[in-house]
Amino acid sequence: MTYAISASGLGKRYGRKWALSNCSLDIPEGRVVGLVGPNGAGKTTLLHLAVGLLSPTVGSISVLGEGPASSAEQLGRIGFVAQDTPVYSGLSIDAHLQMGAALNSTWDAQVAKQRINDLGLDPGQRAGRLSGGQRAQLALTLAIAKRPALLLLDEPVASLDPLARREFLAILMEVVVEHNVSVILSSHLVADLERVCDYLVVLAASRVQVNGAVDDLLSTHHRITGTPKDLKNLPDTVQVIESSSTDRQTTATVRSVDPIMDPAWSIESVTMEDLVLAYMGQAEEQRRDLVRSKGGAK
Amino acid sequence: MIRFAWRQFRFQVIVVSVLLVAVAVVLLVTGPQIAHDFAELKGCKANNDCNFLSNAIQNGHNKILNFATALSLVLPALLGIFWGAPLIAREIESGTYRLAWSQGVTRSKWIITKLSVVGLASMIAAGLMSWMLTWWASPIDTLNANRFSTQVYDTHYVVPIAYAAFAFAVGVTAGVLWRRTLPAMATTLVVYTAVRVTLTEKLRPYLLTPLKLATKLSRSGGYGFEQTPSGRLTFIDSPGNEPNSLVLNGDMVGKHGAALTSQWLDTHCPKMITRGAPVSGHHSVGIKGIGGPVPKAFSECVTKIAANFHQVLTLQPASRFWPFQWIEGGIFLAVAIALCVFSYWWLRKRFA
Repeated sequence: MTYAISASGLGKRYGRKWALSNCSLDIPEGRVVGLVGPNGAGKTTLLHLAVGLLSPTVGSISVLGEGPASSAEQLGRIGFVAQDTPVYSGLSIDAHLQMGAALNSTWDAQVAKQRINDLGLDPGQRAGRLSGGQRAQLALTLAIAKRPALLLLDEPVASLDPLARREFLAILMEVVVEHNVSVILSSHLVADLERVCDYLVVLAASRVQVNGAVDDLLSTHHRITGTPKDLKNLPDTVQVIESSSTDRQTTATVRSVDPIMDPAWSIESVTMEDLVLAYMGQAEEQRRDLVRSKGGAK
Repeated sequence: MIRFAWRQFRFQVIVVSVLLVAVAVVLLVTGPQIAHDFAELKGCKANNDCNFLSNAIQNGHNKILNFATALSLVLPALLGIFWGAPLIAREIESGTYRLAWSQGVTRSKWIITKLSVVGLASMIAAGLMSWMLTWWASPIDTLNANRFSTQVYDTHYVVPIAYAAFAFAVGVTAGVLWRRTLPAMATTLVVYTAVRVTLTEKLRPYLLTPLKLATKLSRSGGYGFEQTPSGRLTFIDSPGNEPNSLVLNGDMVGKHGAALTSQWLDTHCPKMITRGAPVSGHHSVGIKGIGGPVPKAFSECVTKIAANFHQVLTLQPASRFWPFQWIEGGIFLAVAIALCVFSYWWLRKRFA
C-alpha cells in the first residue's frame, strides 16, 4: 500500500542542531492528520522535507510513494500551503489563478473561480491588500484547485483570529469531503485539530513522540489516579507516559492496550488535549534529564 | 512557466522600456541632423566650412552624448541591481518561493526559466541602448577617432551586452547568497563596479600583447621639461594619440637605442637650466605650438631632441578593436554563465 507519507530514520540537521531526528512514520492515505507539537518541534522541517523544500540529512522520505519534488507530476499531486500563507503581494488574485493554471497541468479553473466567488473576493484585488484570513483562503484555493491527492498545510490558522480560524477549518473539511483528499495539517494548538483530525502525530523535541489513529490512541491511553506506591506495581504492559505525585495521590497518563484491572486505580478516559500534553510533558522531562545528566558529568 | 516569469517581471520591463523609448525619441530626433552635417563635411571645400561642420558634429550635442554615454555605461549595473538581485532574493525573503516551488513545475525548470527570461531581457535592454548610441554617435566617433577610449569602447557595440549579462548574474548570485534583496542590491553595485573598473584599467590593455610603434616626436601629444629638486633636467613626454588606438605609454629612444638622459640634456640644452628658477610647469607645448609663448631655449631643445630621438609607443592598434570587443565580451559572458550555474547549484543544494 502507498502511504501519504512514509519516512524512515529521517533527520535534518542545521549546523550542529537537529531540527528533526530519527523520524520513522507511515501515515496512511485518506486521513486528516494533525501534526501537533510546540513551536520549534520540527513540524515545518518535516513538512518542508515532504514537499522537497529541504533535503534530508539522513534517512529517507516518500510522499504518495514517490520522492518529494521528484517530478512535475509528483509536485502536481501535492497541494502545499506554507506557514504564513505566502502569496505574491504585488499580483492580483486573478494573476495568482493564472499562475496556478500555467504551472499545474491538473489545474481546475472552475474550482478556483468558484471558490474565489464563494469567498466574496474581488479577482482584481492585489494579494497584498487581503486580510490574513483572505490570504489564507487564497493560498488554500491555489492548493486545492490543482486537484491534489494530498494537501499539506503548515500552521494555516496560526495567524488567524478565532472566527477566521473556524471558517478556514470548516471550508477545509468541506474540501476534504468533496474532493476526497488526504490532509496533513500542523498546529501548535490541539484545539484547532481536535474537531477535524482522525489521525495524530505528536512531534516534540525534534522527535515523533507518538502517532496513530485518534480513536486507537484515545482507547489505549488512560488517565489513572491512585497512591504513589501503586505506580511501581503496574504491570509491564502499562507504559507510563507522564505522572505527577503528591504525598497521597498520584495521577498518571498511561498507555495500555489491555484494560487496567487493578482496583487500586481509578481510571478515566483521556481527551486529545490530555494525550498531547502528556507526550509533550514527557519530551520536556527527557530533555531536562538529558541536560541534568550532562551537567552532572561535569 | 515563461509566461508567468514575464508576468512577475512585467513592471520592471515597463520601467526600462519607457526609459529606452524616451532615449530612442531623443536620438531619433537629433540623429539625422548629425548624419546630415557629416555628409556635408565629406563634400566640404572651404576650410572654414569644414571646421564649422566638424565642430558642430563633435561639440554640438555634448549634453545628449554625455547623457546617452552615461546611461549606456550604467545601464548594465542598474539591470543587475534591479532585475538580477531581487529575482530570487525577493522570493526567498518574502517566502513566496514556498508557493512557487509547490506548483506543478520542477524547480530546475523554474530556476532555469527565470534566469533565462530575465537574463536575456537584460542583454536585450543593454544591447538596444548600445545599438542606439552606436548608430547615433557614429559620425562623432569617426571624427573623434577614439574608439578605444572608455566612453566609446565601454558603451558601444557588443561589450555592454556582455556587461549586462555579467551584472545580472552578479545580482542573481548575490541574491541567492544573501537571500535578502537590499544587501544583494548593494553587493551587486560594489562587485560589478569593482570588477569592471579593475578589468578596464588593469586587464584590458594586456588582453593581447601590446605592439610597439615608432613615431616622430612631432606626432606626440605634448611634452615639457621638469627640473628635479637636485637640479637635474628631465624630459616629460606624454604619449601621443594614435587614432582609434589604445596607447599605453611612450618612450624616447635615440640612435642605437640610447635613452634620453639628464646628462644628454645638460650637454645639448645648457640654456634650459636657469639658476634658482625651475623651468618646469608652463614650458609645455603641443603639436601645433599652442599653449602660450614658448621660450626660445625650449624650442631649440625640442628641435635637438627631435633630431636625435624618436618616440616608441606601446599600444593596442585600432585594428584590434573588434577582437578586443569579442574577447572581453566573451570573458564577461563566460563568467556570467558560470555565476548562473553556481546560483542554480547553490539553490538546489540549499533548497533541494
